[in-house]
Amino acid sequence: MSTATHDPGTSVAVPVTRTDRRHVKAPIALGVFALLAVLLFVFGRRDGVATFQLSRAADVVQVPNIPVPSAPTGIVLAFVLVALSILSGWWARSGRRTPTWLVALFAALFLLGFLAWAAAGATLPIAGLLAGSLALAVPLIFGSMGGVISERVGVVNVAIEGQLLAGAFTSALVASITGSSLAGLAAAMVAGVLVSFVLAAFSIKYFVDQVIVGVVLNVLVSGLTGFLFAQLLSPNAAALNSPPRFARINIPLLSEIPILGPVLFRQTLIVYLMYIAVAAVYFGLFHTRWGLRLRAVGEHPQAADTVGINVAATRFWNVSLAGAIAGAGGAFFTLGSVGAFGKDMTAGAGFIALAAVIFGRWDPIRATLAALLFGFASNLQNVLGIIGSPVPSEFMLMLPYVVTIFAVAGLVGRVRGPAAAGKPYVKG
Amino acid sequence: MASVRPMPLSAAARPFLLLSTSVLLLAGCAAAPEASPEVESGASADYCARMVTNSGGLQDRSFNQSSWAGLERAGEELGIDADVIVSTTETDLAPNVAQAVESGCSFVLTVGYELAAATLEEAEQNPDVHFSIVDEVVEAENVKPIIFDTAQAAFLAGYLAAGVTETGTVATFGGGNQPPVTLFMDGFVDGVAHYNEVKGTDVRVLGWNKQAQDGVFTGDFEDVNKGNTTTKNFLDQGADVILPVAGQVGEGAAAAALEAGNGLIIWVDNDGYETLPAEYRPLVLTSVLKNTADAVVDIVGADVNGTFDNAPFVGTLKNGGVDIAPYHDLEERVGADLAAEIDALREDIVAGTIEITSPSTP
Repeated sequence: MSTATHDPGTSVAVPVTRTDRRHVKAPIALGVFALLAVLLFVFGRRDGVATFQLSRAADVVQVPNIPVPSAPTGIVLAFVLVALSILSGWWARSGRRTPTWLVALFAALFLLGFLAWAAAGATLPIAGLLAGSLALAVPLIFGSMGGVISERVGVVNVAIEGQLLAGAFTSALVASITGSSLAGLAAAMVAGVLVSFVLAAFSIKYFVDQVIVGVVLNVLVSGLTGFLFAQLLSPNAAALNSPPRFARINIPLLSEIPILGPVLFRQTLIVYLMYIAVAAVYFGLFHTRWGLRLRAVGEHPQAADTVGINVAATRFWNVSLAGAIAGAGGAFFTLGSVGAFGKDMTAGAGFIALAAVIFGRWDPIRATLAALLFGFASNLQNVLGIIGSPVPSEFMLMLPYVVTIFAVAGLVGRVRGPAAAGKPYVKG
Repeated sequence: MASVRPMPLSAAARPFLLLSTSVLLLAGCAAAPEASPEVESGASADYCARMVTNSGGLQDRSFNQSSWAGLERAGEELGIDADVIVSTTETDLAPNVAQAVESGCSFVLTVGYELAAATLEEAEQNPDVHFSIVDEVVEAENVKPIIFDTAQAAFLAGYLAAGVTETGTVATFGGGNQPPVTLFMDGFVDGVAHYNEVKGTDVRVLGWNKQAQDGVFTGDFEDVNKGNTTTKNFLDQGADVILPVAGQVGEGAAAAALEAGNGLIIWVDNDGYETLPAEYRPLVLTSVLKNTADAVVDIVGADVNGTFDNAPFVGTLKNGGVDIAPYHDLEERVGADLAAEIDALREDIVAGTIEITSPSTP
């Protein structure tokens, strides 16, 4: 029982030490963005009024449109941003860290200035912008919840893409056959679990490299669903690939909150399920015995084993659970959005979800915020493209990825994942 | 003490594991026999034709599907052996073209611009084999490009959209900024502009700026969810007729338009009224058709008769290579007057009195 299989030096959970004596990273980043703001909003200022449309015609509470004169707003904001970055730099000189609220304020003001600049002479539908962001983020959030659970228990989950795609395919097929979107959702979760079983079996029982199993699974699911789609679903589309979609459910009162109410609470069942999933994963991971055991297995499997936790079984079942959650996210592509399955319709969402897991430092709430950020950036580039942005479309399409890279590199910095993630546990 | 021993899984886990593996295996077996299409062996048994798809696969509701429909029909009508090699990824393309050539067939049809390089290479190495490529121009002695001036038909669709819109705003978006895609968008924008000129109206087009040759793109041809949110954004801006030029992503546009209740869509490549799920039928205003199948039948027929040439086949309104589909359920809304105007426009374009130009015109 005493044979240790891993290096004790890396497995002990060391608290993150604040090593940089002078906190210069934040002031530099803020300075760069303040400079960008001056260049765009002052020297590249655009005449006209940007109209922020806060309510849609169907909303209960109508908030009037807010006209924002582009050039004056931009100039004022540019100076505020410069002042904030100077304040941050001054604090850094005296050895103080730039507080998070300052970074958040800076980001919000920069965004406001950018929107006023980009939407000069046009109407910017804020409600639509937010609703679209959420729609693009939903599968990412489900995927990242699956990723968080799987990696926290010690199995690197590169197969999120495959789990999403399997969920999308199975939900379309089963919902079409049974005529019930609920049955489709359940089937999607089963499909995600099946993909997880393969990942879990190879990585836990046979100690195959987890990343390689994950990559192979993605290709396998893509090929399998593509093949079945071509041979089975397409020729019989009416019977096998026309699932009923989930209807929108308005939550009373909550859906009448101005601006955010209709965005968050006039949604389909899958989206409400996502809210529950995020809350449940957060609470479960950090406030229950299940979560404690799960994290122990992911951080220090030998210690967990010593106190009588069955490491292999804990990993196996939690990786399966992760698959069920990611599979439900796959159902959003079909039952929550378009209906019919299409070849490779997840289009890389699983990999963005994986990035959100790391960007969110393996924390369900932060990973959700990361996914929302990506969804927002994606939809922002789209809306700006429609209202006629001065930036070429190829650059705009890069925006979500650029934002993600900046956010990971700039805000998150060095991250430390679960110590035993990716390492098979071999009992001595 | 054994140093490495597999951890036993809990007894309960095992049946699930077995189940999942066997389901995967079974799924792999079940559909396999359907995979290879029946090979016709007819009179010209020594002549055979092979087609190579791009990574979109055979059921793409687009050019792969219609090219194969054409080649299949040519096989039946002419009694020749026709078969298809389906590519699934970008790395399949060149090996599949090589495989098609090695099959010994004298005619190879490739589909899509991704296959241009592989087609050119094989064509140079095999001067005796006749090639044809759909939607791309490859210049070689033994390659016949099949291309379509879709701007002509999209012009009609644009005029129609401008005539039908109630909000005075229409929109288009593409999957990627590529000439075969933007050709539709150029024609559409010009059609709307022509309507404005003739009627003195001010119908706006969102999503494409012909002068700047830039506009709204989803970035891929797969993610229907992006098509859905893009279309919602268009609807938010007041557009009520949408032309998605993005393969299956367009289905997301149809779903968004259906949910909004006042949106109409214009499908591309084939008649969306027939190829889309039935729930979207009431929304399909028309479709910009590319008649790839007939072109393929003609070209294979010519090759069988020994009259192959490398002059590009350009599908136009004149030769029936492109057109717009019937209005189906929306015929009443379009009305006899607008329909007559569009028929007159078609005559004008065929006669050459109206010329549609685009930087992407083949």
